[in-house]
Amino acid sequence: MDCLEFRRRLAAEPQSRDPELRAHRESCAACAAAWERAQAFEHELLAALDVPVPAGLADRVLLAQATGERRQQQVRRRHVAFALAASLLLALGVGGYGWRQLDARSLPALAVAHMPGEIRSLDLVQPVGAPAIAAGFADRGVSLRGPAPADVTYVHDCPVGPYKTVHLVSRIAGTPVAVLYLPHNQVAQARDFHRDGWHGRIVPLDHGTLVMLTDRGGAPHFDAVARGWRVAIDGESGAQVAASGGVEAEPGQLAP
Amino acid sequence: MKRLGPVSLVVNPRQRQFEALTRAHAGDLYRYAYWLCGQDALAQDLVQETLLRAWKSLDALREAESAKPWLLTILRREHARLHERKPLDTVELDDNLAEDAAWASPERHGDAAELREAMSRLPHKYREPLLLQVLGGMSCEEIAAELDQQPGAVMTQLFRARQKLKSILQGRRPEVQHGLP
Repeated sequence: MDCLEFRRRLAAEPQSRDPELRAHRESCAACAAAWERAQAFEHELLAALDVPVPAGLADRVLLAQATGERRQQQVRRRHVAFALAASLLLALGVGGYGWRQLDARSLPALAVAHMPGEIRSLDLVQPVGAPAIAAGFADRGVSLRGPAPADVTYVHDCPVGPYKTVHLVSRIAGTPVAVLYLPHNQVAQARDFHRDGWHGRIVPLDHGTLVMLTDRGGAPHFDAVARGWRVAIDGESGAQVAASGGVEAEPGQLAP
Repeated sequence: MKRLGPVSLVVNPRQRQFEALTRAHAGDLYRYAYWLCGQDALAQDLVQETLLRAWKSLDALREAESAKPWLLTILRREHARLHERKPLDTVELDDNLAEDAAWASPERHGDAAELREAMSRLPHKYREPLLLQVLGGMSCEEIAAELDQQPGAVMTQLFRARQKLKSILQGRRPEVQHGLP
């Protein structure tokens, strides 16, 4: 390394510890003196640049960071709470929709929904004959085992939802009670229900289910109507079994 | 009376790293920012913004040794962002700078004031590499990488930066020589 290169390097990198620079410095008195002057200038420069740092600067930065971070956490917590609430609402909505769908397919709902189209049948007063009743049941593949009640004013084979039913109207003391018999579909227990202005009762028979409906105060006659149809459908023996401890022991109570 | 045990504050490692980073480098960052922009309040804002940005991308910092150049890079970008519509050249130094004993000592005050004045007149393209070298402790190669320039160009800028400082001082101090050391 020559003096010119040394001076060029010294001017650009006075604090360099390059061994080549040191070697030249040790062999050249003029360059060593130049190096000393350069170091003095660097020392002076560094001192001039070393401005005092405002007190508490680092702490203020940390405070700003910690405050911002807490705010972010609060925002994140709020978002999580919002997401949870939204999820809960969605779950409730889905659950509610599912429950409504399930409820709409329940036997009381289907039976009540069937009635507006058949409402005029409740106004009929002329009794239909026993042969017509037997024929109505026969259409559904059911043979009556006992005498049909005498006060039947309507008989028809009606689809109720997915069920093929025999739709009848029994009149007791002038009050009509709609009766739906679902052959081959048996509920576990008897239950009363009240829905959309209709009083109803579901009663299991030996080989099917009886649904009674009234919107004209016929509920007190449910026991008598059920007894009459049990005798007709299940026969005298079936009615006796039911009367001695069957499902109609507490017909007014909703089954669990 | 039941004696209570020592209070233990559980601080997560990331937060601890940031606190150490801040305490270790806030001073250097401030000096660099001050000489970059020439204003105390703006320099403090730049330091705060730099460190808050560093907090957000702290996971990018792998080695403690690279912390300072990493922070200086962030600060440079912040400063450039603030001044992207303004030309960067000489700065008017803030006279409201807080004084400390060293800064105000009689034997240094005059020299430091002259050099500060000279630094304030130094064009930005010379001042920036000089600050990265003197305050940032960077080599020519590191400065070249930081400024996206060739190492030879950086060496020339550093050479001329010192030449210009001495040239400015020459008018005030007859004993200061011009040219190569």
